Amino acid sequence: MDERKTTGTMSEADLARLLSQVRAGDADAWGELYRQYAAAIFRFCRRVLPAREDAEDATTEIFMKVRQKLGTYDSSRPFTAWLYKVASNHCWDTLRRRRIRQDLETGDLDTLPLEHPDPSQIERLQAEHTSKEVRAGLAKLPDRARMALALRYYADMSYDEIADTLGVRRAFVGVLLLRARHQLRDALTQGGAFAALKASAGGKS
Amino acid sequence: MNRTDGHFDEVTVLLYLEHQLDPGRLSEVSAHLAGCSACRGLLHALEGESLWLREALAAEEEAVPSYLTSAPQRSNTHWGWIAAFALAMGGVYTLWSGFIQPWYAEASQAGFTQGNLMTMLFFSGAFWKGWDSMRTLMEFLPLATLGAIGVWVLRKQWRHFTPVAFVMGAVLCALAMPPSAMAVEVHHGDPSYTLSAGQEVKTDLIAAGERIRIDGDVDGDLIVFSPSVTVNGHVKGDILGFGQEIQVNGPVDGNVRVWCQSLSLNSSVAKNVMSWTGRTELGEKASVGGTITMFSGASELDGRVGGDLLAYVGDLDLNGTLGGDANVRGDRLTVGSTAEIMGQTKFRGRRQPQVSEGAKLASPIDVTLRKPGPNYGQIAYYWHAVLLWGASFLFGLLLLFLFPAFFARAVSTANKAGVSIGLGILLLFATPIVAVIVCITIVGLGVGIVGLLVYAIAIYAAQIFIASWLGEKMMGIGAGIGPAIARLAIGLAVLRVLRMVPYVGPIFGLLFTVWGLGALALAIHRSMRTQAVAAA
Repeated sequence: MDERKTTGTMSEADLARLLSQVRAGDADAWGELYRQYAAAIFRFCRRVLPAREDAEDATTEIFMKVRQKLGTYDSSRPFTAWLYKVASNHCWDTLRRRRIRQDLETGDLDTLPLEHPDPSQIERLQAEHTSKEVRAGLAKLPDRARMALALRYYADMSYDEIADTLGVRRAFVGVLLLRARHQLRDALTQGGAFAALKASAGGKS
Repeated sequence: MNRTDGHFDEVTVLLYLEHQLDPGRLSEVSAHLAGCSACRGLLHALEGESLWLREALAAEEEAVPSYLTSAPQRSNTHWGWIAAFALAMGGVYTLWSGFIQPWYAEASQAGFTQGNLMTMLFFSGAFWKGWDSMRTLMEFLPLATLGAIGVWVLRKQWRHFTPVAFVMGAVLCALAMPPSAMAVEVHHGDPSYTLSAGQEVKTDLIAAGERIRIDGDVDGDLIVFSPSVTVNGHVKGDILGFGQEIQVNGPVDGNVRVWCQSLSLNSSVAKNVMSWTGRTELGEKASVGGTITMFSGASELDGRVGGDLLAYVGDLDLNGTLGGDANVRGDRLTVGSTAEIMGQTKFRGRRQPQVSEGAKLASPIDVTLRKPGPNYGQIAYYWHAVLLWGASFLFGLLLLFLFPAFFARAVSTANKAGVSIGLGILLLFATPIVAVIVCITIVGLGVGIVGLLVYAIAIYAAQIFIASWLGEKMMGIGAGIGPAIARLAIGLAVLRVLRMVPYVGPIFGLLFTVWGLGALALAIHRSMRTQAVAAA
């Protein structure tokens, strides 16, 4: 069972029947599909795009694409995986078109210290910050870092899917995720290691 | 990914946690973890962090906009009704101008009424009474309210309304159009058009070109679109003119209605004159059987007018004869020695009117002088502000109840202040120009006029969305209709107060208008995209 976020409680059989009805042009079925997933996709967009109205527009546009591309969906794969793939591609394209991607390019592993951090510091951070504060911290991250975390920990995408969406090699997805975690930790502690990291990297980030 | 100080680095531990290591590496890390409490500690910390991230990302802390969860239902679509309503308005306008008003004009000639509907409304109807305080209220509310009620009633009637409504609107238009559209002669000048003396057009004549000269006779109405129009012939119907300079030297049996820079009238008009002009001149030899209604920068009336005069003007020189009442609002009124006014004269303006000794007035001029700018010392000023607030609040409530999803979307769109303001500025100035151009394409006359009406409503509605946006910023986003009404009320009150600030108030007003107009247009665009998803 695919555990990605949805708002509905639809079984796989029901979903398969619904999808076949949508493909057959049933408007009511399309409405039902939309209602099942619109909220989850809106929240995903809300996590990765800078403004609420951007997320609203993106949700609409993603479903336009879903409608257009539904014929290409391989029903042997989980529908939500495909849906989030469409959504993440759209959001990433949106950010790219706006040229507001500010984070580092791929492969700069040297900017990530190969260290063994103190686990207690990580755990203290978790204890001290609420979900709301974490989301506020996420909003401060560079687009790619925020996107990577949302793809992995909200949309439950595999490393292959993340690599494909963000246009990076699969081998760097782990680095990307870890760097995003570091950036989030630093955003929550306001400065610290990440600021030093940026300085050592010559301000590339 | 190496060991550091005898331990695995953080990337390796994360990849282990996320099952991303190849089997060989996996065994190596597993074996190390079994005997290393520091690496196990890091693994647990990262695992906790993953859970922490998942919870934070999945939290449903803010409501999903209702239109996103309900949009695909076709029955929620308002656009069909709105299009139908616009079409119906076009049809009603055509009915009014094609049937009702001519009927009134005939009744007027037979002595049953005085003037046409418009002048009756302006001069003697209840509409005119209490105009001072009710002006803004009445300018927009009737049209908007009627329209909204119409849409609401129709929505209740049919569930699957879109095709029905569209067909109904189209049929109404089709029924209304033919009487004027069938009997008409159309000319596009290349570049100019002239109807020579001795020639006669037996039907209505619609002409457009660089210069239009009508020396012959027109049995029906004359509708002209041109920078320069000269009418020397006899027009047995109405003259409807859009242009820069319009000169009428030949007799007109009907009405003259013009939108132009300059109107010069030197002949007899059997019925009424209505002008929106920079300058209006009624020559000494000119006579108007009915009334004159003018919105003009500068005007000179030297001829004879049988009925009443209603003038919103900058300067008005009155040297001719007026059979009825004169109601003048403007900067300056000069009544010359040859002037004669047989009815009551009212003047509301900034300066005392100048009346020559020889002028014959049935009664002294009723003068109300107003100071430039708002009078902060008068209670009436604040009462007027409260009335205006009430009008906008009522209108906002209508929008909120009739189109809740669209309302929320427009308010949310106002967040994009830069784009909204830019688009609003463009729309504010470009829409009237486009509407006039649409009018010139003959088929688009109704569309153009409806477009201008919608434009006027949109300008008024603009403040509603900005007020709600402002209310949201002040009070936060609360779910339900109660907080939405409160946001609207508070926001409108703040906007009204800001508009009352000396000197900068009008600038605020303009800013809110362009901002709201842009947000409204963007929201319509976004809604249409949503509908495309829903209806595809």
